[in-house]
Amino acid sequence: MTETNIPERFIVPIGPQHPALKEPGHFEFSVDGEIVTWASARLGYVHRGIEKACEQRNWIQDMYLLERICGICSHVHATAFVLGVEKLAGVTVPPRAQAIRVLVAELERIHSHLLWLGVAAHEAGFDTLFMFSWRDRETVMDLLEGLTGNRVNYSANLIGGVKCEVDQSQSDAIRRGVDYLEGRTHHYLTVVTTDETFLGRTRNVGGMSHEQAELLGAIGPTARASGVARDIRVEAPYAAYPEFPVKIVLETTGDLAARFKVRINELFESYRVVRQILENLPPGDLAVKVPRRIPEGETISRVEAPRGELLYYLKSNGSDIPERVKVRTPTLCNWASVVVTAVGHKLADIPMILAGIDPCFSCSDRSVTIQRSDSSSQVWTWEQLRQYGIAYYR
Amino acid sequence: MNNILTFLALLIFPGGLFVLLSGLVYEWADRKLIARFQNRIGPRWFQPLADIAKLLAKEEIIPNGVNPGLFLALPVAALAAALTAALYVPMAGLSPAYSFTGDLIVTVYLLSMMTLCSGLAGANSVDRFSLIGATRTLTQLFSYEAPFLLSLLGPALVAGSWQISVISGYAQSHTWIILTQPLGFIVALIGLMGKLELPPFDAPEAETEIVSGALTEYSGRGLALFRIGKDAELVIGLTLVAAFYLGGLANPVQFLIKTVALLLLVAGLQSLFARLRIDQTVGLWWRFGALLVLVQLLILIVFRGFGL
Repeated sequence: MTETNIPERFIVPIGPQHPALKEPGHFEFSVDGEIVTWASARLGYVHRGIEKACEQRNWIQDMYLLERICGICSHVHATAFVLGVEKLAGVTVPPRAQAIRVLVAELERIHSHLLWLGVAAHEAGFDTLFMFSWRDRETVMDLLEGLTGNRVNYSANLIGGVKCEVDQSQSDAIRRGVDYLEGRTHHYLTVVTTDETFLGRTRNVGGMSHEQAELLGAIGPTARASGVARDIRVEAPYAAYPEFPVKIVLETTGDLAARFKVRINELFESYRVVRQILENLPPGDLAVKVPRRIPEGETISRVEAPRGELLYYLKSNGSDIPERVKVRTPTLCNWASVVVTAVGHKLADIPMILAGIDPCFSCSDRSVTIQRSDSSSQVWTWEQLRQYGIAYYR
Repeated sequence: MNNILTFLALLIFPGGLFVLLSGLVYEWADRKLIARFQNRIGPRWFQPLADIAKLLAKEEIIPNGVNPGLFLALPVAALAAALTAALYVPMAGLSPAYSFTGDLIVTVYLLSMMTLCSGLAGANSVDRFSLIGATRTLTQLFSYEAPFLLSLLGPALVAGSWQISVISGYAQSHTWIILTQPLGFIVALIGLMGKLELPPFDAPEAETEIVSGALTEYSGRGLALFRIGKDAELVIGLTLVAAFYLGGLANPVQFLIKTVALLLLVAGLQSLFARLRIDQTVGLWWRFGALLVLVQLLILIVFRGFGL
């Protein structure tokens, strides 16, 4: 984030405590009347030092710790981590386990997108849609609880497989739940595409062109709404996605209305994949044994979280404790798009634009280096950065 | 004797206590209805009273940078104006406590005092959310005020009087005016929602944008007074619209049925829409609201001109 010399203006602070934000972050918008002329973001209020903590726990303990980076998309964090560890350990996970991982991931995506739909509707002052979408979200939460035992932080993964089995009664329950949700989702799609007052708040608001999305490095549904075909499940299928392919959902207009459409259409895609997995669940074991010590090496693991690409970098020194775990969450890549697209919009649209990327603050709070425009820029070597990090956390 | 009656009118009924309590009951009904429409449980019946009692008991914090006299006086003025307005409308279906030729205009402007006071309260503060909220409150005032007044003029025109009791009496003895002037009714109802800053016209206090708008800095007694004032305005506004458009209010039973029916409608409208931006609100009022009601008035004038 860059800081510029700001002449005296009427600056509206949003955050760290503000009704529009459910997590702490600080944003400053200078306004001319109601029009936003400049925006800046400051993060770091919920920095928890999880990456460093990972270096003091073993690989298995880390899995549970990393799952707690995000309360909404916890399963993808664990999945990204175990996929990386399994790659380092060189084990092949049974296909049934991979399919169940994808099943839980898609159920989690359904839960996350429904949650976002409610939050975004609330920012637009449309509390009825908020209440209804959260009521329906309970359905998928119950399914996840039935499957894994937990409503959030499911802990479905093991290094080398999964913990939970899908039996016939669960499979039937999931089918019923998904059928119900599909009907409701059709209704929500109608609402967000035809309700005039709602469209008045989303159409041509927060628009980001294809070029801008590429330039700002936007990812996930935010980028897909601008026509950028970027989805790890399609580009680099992992776990069981090669067997259960996902169709990419694209829109071209790039405004908030397009983001609503992309996320809701992705719900239909998730329902389809969930049904497909339940019908073609491969037989076999749920897990293989993985040694406690992971062979030396480093790897990158990428998965598609509900908010976009989630990247894990893992380095092992051959012991049962990782040398380095680096997480790059999707929200971090999308912040730039908020600051850029906010300019020129009305203040009333700002909460919508903020919510439009489906932000997850605690996900993105990692070390931040502030680069001032008056000082010369400085490039750090890996070793310097590492030393800085070690000294910072010590 | 006469003095005692005056006091009763001011303090118990129809001013004072009655308006305050019925305001709280209507606020509860409104909240409960919206909650049920939104698939929530909603508050218990004494919740509004508990809120007000809590706020009244709290310490009043006067922030830096405000004019303390104004800060304390504005909520009182707002509530006083709302309670005074109650004296001129047929509360509970009984005839108004006071009545004179032209009291309609006075009542409408007394009701506007509330908005004006909260706008001033916001402008009095140095808080940025308050300032933006004040701008929006006053902008909204200028957009709905004229159409709302014109929509109340329709019944006044056919009744041939500016006196609320006369218009109400006319409404009782003729066809319901909602049938003869449907456009006016729509504008009056939506105007009332704009006046009370109910969703979707709640841009002036949009919590996800500007926290609590003009009243952000108010915490204790001041906030409580503003809130009671708004509740009183809800009852008075519903009474006024029901008396004019729904065939008058002949007795307390009619009052209850008609105002609650209106409240049901208002609650339904509140839960149907997304919040309008302030520019959309202004556009809506001047492009459609004002136009509709002018068309209505034109029709009325033409009809009367032909002596129909």
